[in-house]
Amino acid sequence: MSDPTTTPRSEYLLEARDLKKSYENGAIEALRGVSLGIVAGDFLAITGPSGSGKSTLLHLLGGLDLATEGTVLFRGQPVGKSQNGVAAIDIDTYRARWAGFIFQSFHLLPALNALENVQVPMLGTGSHRRDREERARALLVELGLEPRLRQYPNQLSAGERQRVAIARSLVNNPAVLLADEPTGNLDSVNSAKILELLAQIQERHGTTLIMVTHDLNIAATAHRHVAMRDGRICD
Amino acid sequence: MRLSFVGFAWRNVWRRRLRTALTLCGIGMGIGAFVALVGFSRSFEHAWLEMYENAGTDLAVVQKTFLNTSVDQSIAPVLQRIPQIAIAAPMIINMMAVTPEVNTLVYGWQANTFEFSALNILEGRRFRDGQQEVMLGELLAGSLNKKVGDTIDLQGGSFTVVGIFRSGSALEAGAIIMPLDQMQSLSGMSGKVTAFHVQLKPAPSGVSPDQWRQQAEDAVSSALPGLRAVPAAERAANNQLVILAHAAAWGTSLIALLVAALGIANTMAMSVFERTKEIGVLRAMGWSRRRVMTLILLEAAALGVAGGVVGVALGWGALHILGMLPQTASIVSSTLPLRTLLDGLIMAILVGVAAGSIPAWRGAQLSPVEALRHE
Repeated sequence: MSDPTTTPRSEYLLEARDLKKSYENGAIEALRGVSLGIVAGDFLAITGPSGSGKSTLLHLLGGLDLATEGTVLFRGQPVGKSQNGVAAIDIDTYRARWAGFIFQSFHLLPALNALENVQVPMLGTGSHRRDREERARALLVELGLEPRLRQYPNQLSAGERQRVAIARSLVNNPAVLLADEPTGNLDSVNSAKILELLAQIQERHGTTLIMVTHDLNIAATAHRHVAMRDGRICD
Repeated sequence: MRLSFVGFAWRNVWRRRLRTALTLCGIGMGIGAFVALVGFSRSFEHAWLEMYENAGTDLAVVQKTFLNTSVDQSIAPVLQRIPQIAIAAPMIINMMAVTPEVNTLVYGWQANTFEFSALNILEGRRFRDGQQEVMLGELLAGSLNKKVGDTIDLQGGSFTVVGIFRSGSALEAGAIIMPLDQMQSLSGMSGKVTAFHVQLKPAPSGVSPDQWRQQAEDAVSSALPGLRAVPAAERAANNQLVILAHAAAWGTSLIALLVAALGIANTMAMSVFERTKEIGVLRAMGWSRRRVMTLILLEAAALGVAGGVVGVALGWGALHILGMLPQTASIVSSTLPLRTLLDGLIMAILVGVAAGSIPAWRGAQLSPVEALRHE
């Protein structure tokens, strides 16, 4: 496992520095000082029991939330909050341009079909319609969903929905892919397929992959893994 | 259908079809009331202007007081001596009941007034001064089923219909015209008139028509303190009947629009609440707060536009009905002015955006993580 204190900082694509996150005026401490460095192309699994803070860490690394204390650096630049006079990357821009999310419950928009769901991140950045469609179609074809392009989420199986969600997470060509229990709602056959797919994507696209899971067998498919307990990295 | 930002907004609106349809009905009623009432009052104003323009009236000489203007007829020679004035025709206008259900405008004119030039006599002849004779606009004659030779009762007096005329102004087409002296006696205005309608002489070379008219207005004010000469367009827009019609139309419409706005606000607030998780997904996908806010405002504006179209159709229908009813046909034209149509649509969009702004702001403030956790 890489150690941010011994690896030169310039090598990190993404770095967490002493992240703390508390809720309800400090009554609940979800993270109690987490530091972590992730190099480009890494496949990191974060494991831990419920309430250990693994999802909170993923949210902070992905710019879905801001830390109470500490900093997330992307390519050496703070995300969301400037630090020591170094200008921050706008957190919306970071999510739109550099981070892609895969959720346990897919979170596809029910009013849109598969092809349209994949275009949603590009719709947020005002990309040209033809570019959006071509990119979304290419990704869905790559993920084996060519016959299902016009199907709505309620017409897709759970495995297909997650593949659409994966295509959506890749559509803006992110540097980091963040997956929160991506197989949590799938049966074992579909779980294996999705994990294989993620590994292929990580290899083929060179995308850095950070996956939260409570399943150690799944974590074993990653290049490395960190375990969390009580808001801290414990190994 | 290809996905676009506007199309996405519309699909969100159309997902809850029943709620959207009910909201559209609410907006439609509000905008419909606006179009019908404001359209009615503008059409009323326009009919006044048409009446003056068709007759070639340049100025109206009235009292400076706002309500119930009444002018001594004896000032006619003073007006005729003003160098800019060609003709000064005394007239009375009043509203009278011709049947228990129908009230109509009644004009008192002198038989030789220039204002007859705007009328086309279809049957019969012009009335004679001093006789109990009237002429009916063709619209009124049709609705009362009267023809030349029939009699009509007004304020207890019996008048013979001596002519049926056509006019370009709805205010005349549905009206009665009678000799000024008869009207004075019916209205208890002996020696008094409502106004003098004035035609000016042509402006001499080197003087613009506006300057010439201004000189006439100044001359009237100085020759007859307490009276003023107002241009025909101003008289059309600022006479007390038109002002009251505008005020009533706008007041009632604004209340209806407020109700419509509350309907949109309620729909958008519900929609944002129900889609909290979806908004979280959009934010997670990198959509900025501004983008989310724009989406929700666009949805509200789409509701406004659709409601506006429904409302314009309803309002036009209402105007059409008002234009056919005997009680209102004499004072309203059933045509929908383009300005009122555009005002209705613009009002609908503004109401939509204003009503959607708070839900949009609240939606945009949602933290992605909290929104994604929302159940």
